[in-house]
Amino acid sequence: MSSLTDRLRGIIAAVPANEGAPSRLRQGSGEAGRSEAEAAGPPDSSFRDDAAEVLGGSWHHAGGRQLLVIDRTYRPGHRHGHLTLVDHVLGDECEWRHVLLGPLSPSNDDSNRSRTLFIDLETSGLAGGAGTSAFLVGCAWFDGCVLRVRQLFMASPTAERVLLDALVELASSARLLVSYNGKSFDLPLIETRFLFNRMEPPFAGVPHLDMLHAARRLWRPIDAADGDTSAEGAEAGAPRRSAEGAEPGPPRRSAEGAEAGCSLGVLERSICGHDREGDVAGFEIPARYFHYVRTGDARPLAAVVEHNRLDLLSLAFLTARAARLVHEGPVAVRTAREAVGLGRLYERAGIVAKARACFARACGLDGSSALPGDKSTLADALRAYAQVCRRERSHADAATAWRRLIALGECPPHVYREAIEALAIHHEHRLREPRVARDFALSSLPLQGTAARQLAIRHRLARLDRKVERDAQNAWLF
Amino acid sequence: MTGGTADRPDASEGWITAVRRLPARTAAHAEFPDGVDARLRQVLRARGIDQPYSHQAIVIEHALAGRHVIVTTPTASGKTLCYNAPVLSTMLRDPSARALYLFPTKALAQDQLAELHVLAERLAEHAGAEIGVFTYDGDTPQDARRAIRGRGHVVLSNPDMLHSGILPHHPRWAKLLENLRYVVIDELHAYRGVFGSHLTNVLRRLRRICAHYGSSPTFICSSATIANPRELAEALVEQPFELVAESGAPRGEKFFIFVNPPVVNRQLGIRRSYLAETRKITAEFLKRRLQAIVFAQSRLTTEILTTYLKDDFAGLPGATEQIRGYRGGYLPLRRREIEKGLREGTVRAVVSTNALELGIDIGALDVCVMAGYPGTIAATWQRAGRAGRRSTRSAAVLVASSAPLDQFVVRHPSYFFDASPERALINPDNLHILVDHVKCAAFELPFTTSEQYGRHQVQDVLAVLEESGFVHRADTSAPDSEGTWVWTSESYPADAVSLRSISSDNFVVVDTTHGADVIGETSFSSGPSTLHEKAIYLVEGQLYQVERLDFEGRKAFVRQIECDYYTDAITYTRVSVLETFEESRTAGGNAAASPAAAAGASHGEVHVASRVVGFKKIKFYTNENVGSGELDLPEQQMHTTAYWLTIPRGVMAALPFAADDRRDGVVGLSFAMRQVAQLLLMCDRSDIGISIGSGEQSAPAPHEEWRLAKGAHPVTLPDEPTIFVYDNYPGGIGFSQPLFGMHEELIDRTSALIARCDCEHGCPACVGPIGDTGPMAKTVAMRILALMGARQAAPAVDAMDRRTLNAAGGGSLVEPPL
Repeated sequence: MSSLTDRLRGIIAAVPANEGAPSRLRQGSGEAGRSEAEAAGPPDSSFRDDAAEVLGGSWHHAGGRQLLVIDRTYRPGHRHGHLTLVDHVLGDECEWRHVLLGPLSPSNDDSNRSRTLFIDLETSGLAGGAGTSAFLVGCAWFDGCVLRVRQLFMASPTAERVLLDALVELASSARLLVSYNGKSFDLPLIETRFLFNRMEPPFAGVPHLDMLHAARRLWRPIDAADGDTSAEGAEAGAPRRSAEGAEPGPPRRSAEGAEAGCSLGVLERSICGHDREGDVAGFEIPARYFHYVRTGDARPLAAVVEHNRLDLLSLAFLTARAARLVHEGPVAVRTAREAVGLGRLYERAGIVAKARACFARACGLDGSSALPGDKSTLADALRAYAQVCRRERSHADAATAWRRLIALGECPPHVYREAIEALAIHHEHRLREPRVARDFALSSLPLQGTAARQLAIRHRLARLDRKVERDAQNAWLF
Repeated sequence: MTGGTADRPDASEGWITAVRRLPARTAAHAEFPDGVDARLRQVLRARGIDQPYSHQAIVIEHALAGRHVIVTTPTASGKTLCYNAPVLSTMLRDPSARALYLFPTKALAQDQLAELHVLAERLAEHAGAEIGVFTYDGDTPQDARRAIRGRGHVVLSNPDMLHSGILPHHPRWAKLLENLRYVVIDELHAYRGVFGSHLTNVLRRLRRICAHYGSSPTFICSSATIANPRELAEALVEQPFELVAESGAPRGEKFFIFVNPPVVNRQLGIRRSYLAETRKITAEFLKRRLQAIVFAQSRLTTEILTTYLKDDFAGLPGATEQIRGYRGGYLPLRRREIEKGLREGTVRAVVSTNALELGIDIGALDVCVMAGYPGTIAATWQRAGRAGRRSTRSAAVLVASSAPLDQFVVRHPSYFFDASPERALINPDNLHILVDHVKCAAFELPFTTSEQYGRHQVQDVLAVLEESGFVHRADTSAPDSEGTWVWTSESYPADAVSLRSISSDNFVVVDTTHGADVIGETSFSSGPSTLHEKAIYLVEGQLYQVERLDFEGRKAFVRQIECDYYTDAITYTRVSVLETFEESRTAGGNAAASPAAAAGASHGEVHVASRVVGFKKIKFYTNENVGSGELDLPEQQMHTTAYWLTIPRGVMAALPFAADDRRDGVVGLSFAMRQVAQLLLMCDRSDIGISIGSGEQSAPAPHEEWRLAKGAHPVTLPDEPTIFVYDNYPGGIGFSQPLFGMHEELIDRTSALIARCDCEHGCPACVGPIGDTGPMAKTVAMRILALMGARQAAPAVDAMDRRTLNAAGGGSLVEPPL
């Protein structure tokens, strides 16, 4: 049989276990995984007993299997960056859920369900499919001004059912679920784990707020090139990580940073002002868990558990911040970007007056003191303001915004074109100033555009030429 | 042509080498088994099916009773009812029941979808039963997939999709898998060799997952006629099967004719073009207003024949086109239109690649003309089955090309008519394939520490996988449960495994004529030989020349070109023996007991190193060699299994020829052996490789040898030259051992092939074209075979044709193996 083993070694060693993963990850797995395990000598069974101590939790037994439950409580006054727990708690849900979650979200009126439950997973990989599992399920909820965190750690891969049972219990009190990118990753993965174990998934019918979507609207830096944060294209872009989108082709394995400027880590720094020290990089996490599974050594996981807790904390604080913004309106915003984002949220929820106020605040058209913000944000705000004004038939206000936008000098070509066209229309049809309109139309001619657009401009110019001619004749007549 | 000559004896030298008459047969009907739902019977009756044929009734009964069943059926004998009836009947009784159909191609799944849809709609109208029927393949949109997982009662897919899309995501398919009652595998004979070995493992994984969800589906398989349908089904599914091989479908009288185009240059063994011959014969049928299907061997020849026939039968301008081509690459709409035209008779002739060989519904035609031997007996019968109405007379004509296999078949009709069709071989426990699927299986569901999988000790495989970090053995403290092997890798193993090729690594072909368009891809192993610089690459009749091969980047840059030749790479292969499993060299060479045993035959494990060293330019149609070039490409290596024949020192020493001629003789012998081995093994040309070496356990080829190798074979021979026939797949695919078992047949048939060839000094039909192998190759090869004790050519032929003579002399007629 040894010859079979040797032949197998020849075949299997040719492909490393983490083939297909980024090279950094492979290296990471080597360090935290095998090489470390080898350095530590043979697996020491005493490690396993230490997991509770190392990670600061307590064992729960069920059916001969163990689950490690790690509880933490954050009391009023706890600071997360420059945010404090007293100022940032979730207010009355009715005030913000409509705006953050969207108008069509179902509500759950079961009186036993009272909690807004924050959830975040640490998984054995990003590939998705039956072989990817969640070894750490972190949950958090506000209990008055206290934030409670409960983490369920699968101390043995054979104890998954125990973990899922515990999650069912937590889920039973959830009125609303909040995650970060959970729509495409965490929730499908959890559902898969329940189906795998032939259990009923517990979150069916519970509304789910994926804060990634709200955060994109509120805080993602506006790229001068696209200049439009509200574009649905941004939503349809490749998810940071996806449990379902992977089927059946190659799994999407975009790096954590792919969600440029809007990852939870970036927002934690920019919005909460929190800097993590000694944080574990996301790509290292599966290897640390595998190391634990092989050796029972839980020490490298302490940082993972902390990482998960901080993610939950940031998620809770960001949600509280967003809820407060929605509740208080434009007066609460701190930057022009935030004002535009809040305006977009109101706009989507159909609260046009508040949206207009936010856009006006963002571009300084409401007479209040200027907010910090760069030119591309200002351009975006002006455009949004002009559009909402036009919809409200405040054509003069819209024209003011379009003019400011042109004067700004720095905005994407398609926005510039839009502004010129809007002004050409405004001057032609409303102010009846064909000469001014003609000047605008002429200035849009050299701009790059589709053939159809170029044709439309030429039509407009021809019409305006006739009008200018007629005006001239009229002027001569009278 | 079909009349009056039915009873003439075969004449291997003639223009028409064989004519056989297959008598008409009436239908054998039976009653529907009791288990068939009355509502389904009603719907079937409305569609004109009052009673099933006898074989359908038996299959339905087995399937309803939960017995795995394989049915081998000639074309157009109603195999779809064999599986649709039990599946739909079960669903009418139990709406939660589910079924999975697997087809080797997407087109077949689409064809079956249409038929099932009609039945499901009728059932919805008559019985109010909602039976959802969906295809699930690479073309299925993402947003439709969820609906299919939830609502699909019958899901039509393919093994690749099951492997990479369904099994790794099985929790999402829980509803289907929990209630999976039937798995239908159509065209089972398509799953041989590497593909079949992969499929066995995919089905092992499927059955593991079904067990997890508490289901145990019944398998219903259908296959074209092969020698070992039950054996293949049992090897693929690893369950006992019932075989239903007796068709109850009616059949009209049919003639089968073998045509060998006449020799135009006897010395070079050159015959009249088989394409011209095919054109002439088809034209005769068309003039007599008979509807015909013509099978060509490639897309190129399909287009050529279509053009010829269109020229011959140009209708009035603007009239409906009566002659059509059909091949992969045509748009689906166009294909449907041609299929409809054939069924309705508006299309008088279609020229097709093997695309119409599988079960696409085109009705039954009058005549089938095959331009070239399809490669296997099974495929030939299947193509011939495209002609043959249930009541009237039909004919099938095989026109041989000058390829060795074609020549062998038309000159030995009894081989085709009397021998059982080929055996389909698979080797699911090839370690390379096994390891890949054990990884996939471990990803899908942890193995327990007592679980069995396949023939090898899977626990040993898992232990080695643990060493590399793929899995970890987790033992629980719970007293009642056993340990499990947990997947501890981030990879998604199914992505790294392609069921249809040796590795998922491939070369892409980039056309730089106008920009940079990817126009094709080639597997890693065949990349160097088909995409080397200056190679001609063909796509749908368009020729491209490779300008640059980026070996590291796995890209070949090509440009459109007009030329009248194609290229054939010269690969120098060096085989060294790693381990001999069995050897049959008898010490004294007891020729009386076993004539061929004096030569040493062995099989075992070998190391194969190959390198493309050059290429030849070959002119279209005439196959003239019009130039060559040298190449220097990286070496490729693999471990595989091989059969080898060692020519004893004594035999070599006894040859009264010069060293170069002796070498040519061995090369010619190996050329002929390859053809016969391919014939005996029912494999594709690319499934096996051939090499001449020393047979000693030795180190890989020294650099010097590579440098000297200008051709495919060594310049000088060792004292005891060895001819290797190796499995062209890492780890071997199970050809070597059977070939070793057929050693004597291999030698005798090779001897017969060479001896009965008309050429004087060698030709493409025996020891290879004379320009390649030298003027003495044929003589020397015959001498070697005689010295090794192969049966003399005449008795060998005698033995082989005895049955033919009996058949002809006794006036009895041969039944096709059905």
